[in-house]
Amino acid sequence: MTLAADAIEVRYDTRLAVRASSFVLAPGELVALVGPNGAGKSTLLRALAGLLDHGGTVAWCGQALARLDRRERARTIAYLPQNPPVHWPLLARELVDLARLPHRAYGARPSAADTDAVTAAMRETDSLELATRGVGRLSAGERARVLLARALAVQAPVLLVDEPIAMLDPYHQLDVMNVLRAYVGGDGENGPRLVVAVLHDLGLAARFCTRALLMNDGAIVQDGPPQIALGATAIRDHYRVEPLISNHAGEPVIVPWRRLDSESRCPAAAVRPLD
Amino acid sequence: MQAAPPQRDLALIAGLGALLCLAATASLFVGRGGDGPTFGFGGPEIGAMIFAEIRLPRTLLALLVGGTLGLCGAALQGLLRNPLAEPGLLGAASGGALGAVVVFYFGLATATSVLLPAGAVLGSVLALAALYGLAGRRGDFLTIVLAGIAINALAAALTSLALNFAPSPYAALEILFWMLGSLADRSLTHVYLALPLMVMGWLLVAVSGRGLDALTLGEDTAKSLGFDPRRTQWLVIGGTALAVGAAVAVTGVVGFVGLVVPHLLRRAVGHHPSRLLLPSFLGGAVLVTLADCAIRLMPPGPELKLGVVTALLGAPFFLHLVMRPQQGGAA
Repeated sequence: MTLAADAIEVRYDTRLAVRASSFVLAPGELVALVGPNGAGKSTLLRALAGLLDHGGTVAWCGQALARLDRRERARTIAYLPQNPPVHWPLLARELVDLARLPHRAYGARPSAADTDAVTAAMRETDSLELATRGVGRLSAGERARVLLARALAVQAPVLLVDEPIAMLDPYHQLDVMNVLRAYVGGDGENGPRLVVAVLHDLGLAARFCTRALLMNDGAIVQDGPPQIALGATAIRDHYRVEPLISNHAGEPVIVPWRRLDSESRCPAAAVRPLD
Repeated sequence: MQAAPPQRDLALIAGLGALLCLAATASLFVGRGGDGPTFGFGGPEIGAMIFAEIRLPRTLLALLVGGTLGLCGAALQGLLRNPLAEPGLLGAASGGALGAVVVFYFGLATATSVLLPAGAVLGSVLALAALYGLAGRRGDFLTIVLAGIAINALAAALTSLALNFAPSPYAALEILFWMLGSLADRSLTHVYLALPLMVMGWLLVAVSGRGLDALTLGEDTAKSLGFDPRRTQWLVIGGTALAVGAAVAVTGVVGFVGLVVPHLLRRAVGHHPSRLLLPSFLGGAVLVTLADCAIRLMPPGPELKLGVVTALLGAPFFLHLVMRPQQGGAA
């Protein structure tokens, strides 16, 4: 069971947003998709989710996703966009239940499995007490947790999430990373699963993820364990910042410390000497 | 915990169903003669005729047209994810009216009774196809509404053109009166003509229900849940064109029902787009049937047109919707 991307390419008009990206991801991995703004992370994630026309192929268990039946694919890959819209103020629980649409036939009542999946996902994301509140009345953080629960409740073997912690306070950021890690581990009925998360927090990416894909300018420039893929040189080269890298209790700490402005990287910008 | 949603919906649907039975019964018993309202059927022989030729078609059409407008309004609001959408806003009704007027204008309405509804349906389909061509790709609400306004204006202008060049003042008056929307003097033939198209439209719209639910979370999420937003869009727009076109063909333009009814019922179904469809159908049927009864109960004089009544009631309601700050929905 692997998710294999072969030579993925996405073109916006004439610009290549994602170029020749190939990798094989397996269940049990929590993959951080990182890179500076505009690197193509979200575009690559959307291509993996089958939301974009793209060159190359994405295959799950050797089968091209493009050939899978739409519902089958929806059960295989769950996707959570960055800050998705919620157009009607449904109750939180009913919003999470939308995740079960690919699991039931037209007009069918929610099955026991549906109810269990919804409850479990809401418990995981600490949003069970919000179940009977309207989504319109939730805070940004509460809303983000409910939407994450929606993505988890699909119970797909592959979960793609775009900046799941961008709107959250530190407590809930840690919480979401833990939830994603638990999701990768699987539960009693489901074996290990694959999560790919677009992240901007390099420290959390390094601590929680088992692998990091670093993108810059549409290409994957680093792929490997976070310790290596997010090393000081890679961060300097691709983020143009000087990182502070350390260790605490056996876990990596990465703090972006200072901008690096150099003539070769951004000729148009005001040049400041390195100190 | 509250009652499970399906049970709450069942109560609502049963309630609306009962109300509909009452309204339909009332509509079968109320008539209108030269001296204003009449009740019952008169003698047994003439009674059977009044029942079969006047009251029954009128009541059935009120149900069908009202249900169609309610259902399509709910579906369009779900599709555009905005409570201000309505078949009339998007040009479906005015396009249908134009199609019918063209048939009138060329004097084809008398030739065969199939042409009038065919013209109206074609007009509706063309109007919504134009809307889709203008705004479908971007699909944001503002573009769609602006495109709808443009199409409405164009259809109205072409309708005026037809009136302008009408062969005789009498023909112009006929067109004008027909456009006001009325259920008077319709026969079962009208029912037979409209019903198949309406049922086809209803089915298309009903099939889109789950897609509408998925669209609550935006197009990307809907796609990732296995729904094709384009397919949902075409189901709703095609179904609306067929059903509303058929409704316009037999009654003329009856506005605002598709706006008001889903809005009144939305809270009761917890804002769920698919669960709003059936109640909106029933609610629309109740509203139009009652409005049509009320018209027959008016004091003697020229009969009020149904479209005039719904617009008189609906326009202030629409204004109220627009002026009121949006609640929670889009967060």
